[in-house]
Amino acid sequence: MSKFKSFLIRTLQLALVLWAVVTILFLMFRLMPGNPLAAYIDPTFTAEQQEALIRQFGLDQPLWRQYFTYLANLLQGELGYSFRYRTPVADRIWLLLPNTLILTFSSLIVAYAFGILAGAWLAWRRGTRTEAAALPVVLATRAMPEFWLGMVLLAIFSFSLGWFPAGGTRSAGTSYDSLWALYTSSNFLSHLFLPMMTLAIYSQGLPLLLMRSNMLDVMKEDFITMAKIKGLSPFAVVIRHGARNALLPVMTSFAISVGYQLQGNVVVESVFSWPGLGRELVNAVAASDYPLAQGAFLMIAVVVIAMNLLADLLYSILDPRISHA
Amino acid sequence: MPEAAVIRKPRVLSRVFSAVRLPVGDPFAVVGLVIYALFIVTALSAPLIAPYDPTEILYTENYDLASDLLPGEEGHVLGTTSLGRDIFSQIVWGARSALLVGLTAAFMVAFIGSIVGLLSGYFGGWVDALLMRLADVAFGIPFLPFVIVISAFSEPSIWNTVIAMALVLWRDTGRVIRSQVLSLRSRGYVEAARVSGSSDLKIILRHITPNILPLSFLYGSIAIGWAILTEASISFLGFGDPDAISWGFMLQDAFNSQALARQAYHWFIPPGLAIILVVSAGFFISRGYENLLFPKLGR
Amino acid sequence: MTTLLSVKDLSIAYKVGSNDVVAVSNSGFDVPKGTIVGLVGESGCGKTTMARALTRVIADNARIAGGEIAFDGQDLAALPEAKMNALRWRDISFIPQSAMNSLDPVYRVEYQIMEVLRDRGGMTRRAARARAAELFEMVGIDKGRLRDFPHQFSGGMRQRAAIALALALNPKLVVADEPVTALDVIIQRQILDQLRTLQRELGLSVIMVTHDISVVAYTCDRTVVMYAGKVVEDCDTATLLNRPLHPYTMGLKNAFPDLKSAGSGVLTPIAGSPPDLADPPDGCRFAARCPFAAELCRSTEPAPLEVEKGHIVACHRASEAAQLRLEASKPQTWEAMA
Ligand SMILES: Nc1ncnc2c1ncn2[C@@H]1O[C@H](COP(=O)(O)OP(=O)(O)OP(=O)(O)O)[C@@H](O)[C@H]1O
Ligand code: SF4
Ligand SMILES: [Mg+2]
Repeated sequence: MSKFKSFLIRTLQLALVLWAVVTILFLMFRLMPGNPLAAYIDPTFTAEQQEALIRQFGLDQPLWRQYFTYLANLLQGELGYSFRYRTPVADRIWLLLPNTLILTFSSLIVAYAFGILAGAWLAWRRGTRTEAAALPVVLATRAMPEFWLGMVLLAIFSFSLGWFPAGGTRSAGTSYDSLWALYTSSNFLSHLFLPMMTLAIYSQGLPLLLMRSNMLDVMKEDFITMAKIKGLSPFAVVIRHGARNALLPVMTSFAISVGYQLQGNVVVESVFSWPGLGRELVNAVAASDYPLAQGAFLMIAVVVIAMNLLADLLYSILDPRISHA
Repeated sequence: MPEAAVIRKPRVLSRVFSAVRLPVGDPFAVVGLVIYALFIVTALSAPLIAPYDPTEILYTENYDLASDLLPGEEGHVLGTTSLGRDIFSQIVWGARSALLVGLTAAFMVAFIGSIVGLLSGYFGGWVDALLMRLADVAFGIPFLPFVIVISAFSEPSIWNTVIAMALVLWRDTGRVIRSQVLSLRSRGYVEAARVSGSSDLKIILRHITPNILPLSFLYGSIAIGWAILTEASISFLGFGDPDAISWGFMLQDAFNSQALARQAYHWFIPPGLAIILVVSAGFFISRGYENLLFPKLGR
Repeated sequence: MTTLLSVKDLSIAYKVGSNDVVAVSNSGFDVPKGTIVGLVGESGCGKTTMARALTRVIADNARIAGGEIAFDGQDLAALPEAKMNALRWRDISFIPQSAMNSLDPVYRVEYQIMEVLRDRGGMTRRAARARAAELFEMVGIDKGRLRDFPHQFSGGMRQRAAIALALALNPKLVVADEPVTALDVIIQRQILDQLRTLQRELGLSVIMVTHDISVVAYTCDRTVVMYAGKVVEDCDTATLLNRPLHPYTMGLKNAFPDLKSAGSGVLTPIAGSPPDLADPPDGCRFAARCPFAAELCRSTEPAPLEVEKGHIVACHRASEAAQLRLEASKPQTWEAMA
């Protein structure tokens, strides 16, 4: 019961954080230079459109009333109209969100699978030349600008070798019956490969380093010594007891990584013209499409905050010391 | 008490000095320090090293535009851009932007974070509650999107980008410093100083600050890398300072000029390598520094 | 009585930097079948090192530098690793000091018991589950608690679980390294009683490592006293307590309360601390703290001798023991050394 309560408190806390972020967003877009109406109204909208928006968002009202109108609209999923697309921002975002999530999760799964194995392996090879050579390389991958890595992969594997397409999610002129058919097509997957690898190469460092240092700590624990005294097989000692324990914090970091990755997506999606939330945000900001920029930002923030919550939840589920307190 | 004050003075100084001790025992950190030294020298003496003005449009001897030259052609070590600018000179001047961004951001992050951590940890109560909720909010803000929006909506300048970064990144430093202050406060001598009537300001300056400075340095040094990477992203996306030649700007220039399709590796590889070199040097140093501060046996 | 284990002349060294810390040096003792043998001495004298050497799971920087571990007709010190591993837990099991840290926190206790039963005992899942319940009953824990995680147990229960684990495969020898040190006196007694009962019922041989001579007095048939990496005295417990021959044993007796009558009597600690094992002194290792040290003691190391039947001691003045015991019973004798 108290576990449920502490989770509830955490949820409430994060709801407050979300509210604060929403408020910051409101201020950020209202306080920007120029006409305050600019946040929702493009001069090229027809007079009726402008009227309707002014009413909907209370743009002729004082700022504090606008704020409450804004909150009320948000609660109903009402994000305004995109200047460029002339469609509701929400529609646009729901359209792009799957692309971003697919890119994020596929790259993180690859990164974590590799990072966990390599981290455990490096811990095992501790003090060897392999380790001495591998560590600086791993640190260097963390020091790489993601978009630059994307550029290099693009130049080599797309432009020079022609193995993969240069951008987008599918070849021009192709169409699919359903989203599922699209996402499982080789066409989509070959488009996904390079941006996915870019993000994966950048992200593998965190799970790798975390796994390695956890593994080094865990292997010094008494229960590992006991497993050896029990005459258990090396597999049981290293994997069943060592890795299983070292994995706990790595798994929790996955959720946090989703949040970070989403931010990194912004540049990589731009390099690969991947129609996701990040690229949309950049384009919207560049084109002064404020409602869309605001909506994309908000969606990213929601996922980041939700992932923080998920991380807490994961931790309390995966660690029996907490889940069975 | 006055006696104690007299004795303590040199100790405060020596503690501050021990905070800036360099991690010279660690081979990684030494490599990092050497790279940093080179980087700083390059940044400071950019005008002497760079053969050309990085923004100048150059012409060949026959008055053609010196565009897209390969490395070595016409004496351009790394070739030229599509607009006829010298790539090597841009790299050299880019070090200056990177240093500026890295150091100012690191300073601001360490400064804001330390102040927040100090106030939060020392005074506790509602001050602590307020500041830590603020930190929660900072953790909830998507970092890069935030910096993009701020950079795009304000006057494009390096400073606005740096300020936007500092507004979010202080959070980690703040939390760590806070817990350090909490543990310092629970030690006897802070309590003793308070009972004997020292003012809060005095206690903070004399007893607490010297002990948290090493951590501020550590987190500042980590922020350098973040700041340089972030500024590169911002410039690459086209929201950077148009007057400053930075490595991110070079990459944007290359990307938009079809350098990838034209296989102009000499154009977009060097700025990336420069960033990797400087940022990983920062990682090496902060790792060494961390080991110095928190020696972990057998690590 | 047949001898199950006979450690002879064993030396174990830790590499520390470029130094060798010889934590156990040229020491040995016997464990007769079906008895509890205590291994007692101050902290750092090499008890754990000795105990762990019997399983041959020793620290990365440790090595067996010489000697023999004769167990059931084989020399464990020279056994190939595969053969040694086959013998672990099936023949020699181990009860660690801190059961909290030696149980894996992420698995249920039942799983950890079943793990050895299945992996090492070749049992089916079903048989292992039944055996786990049986083991819990043996050590006096409600078998409903099998599905708990280690952190849900009290300290005493964890230690009992560790005993259950050690008995799982009916080993010939159980090595218990300070099995009750972390517990309060009442629980200590309960667990020692339990262990003693089980040992009698099952005819087990047990090595009981402890720094607490009252634990030895309470449980052990024979007692081996170690000092600074050496066995200094070895005999049956009653004789050791009534007629100790080594001054260190005499001192140790004064330094601990009696488990049976906790709290009574004045305690006199032995002043000083053991020598640095990286650079042990010439002569008797106890000389610096011994109230009876003579000239000879500082120059020549006393060899362990069987001065009476089944009573081994390493002291130059063992022949004057009756006189020394008289002196040693006076607190001033020891206080003078402080
Ligand atoms: N891994 C190691 N490396 C170096 N020295 C060690 C190591 N383990 C133990 N030692 C040293 O060996 C000596 C004997 O240690 P051991 O743990 O066997 O003592 P002990 O009698 O079990 O003591 P305690 O009662 O504290 O458990 C000590 O001086 C100790 O410092
Ligand atoms: S040999 Fe000498 S110093 Fe050592 S215990 Fe005997 S009397 Fe004491
Ligand atoms: Mg021990």
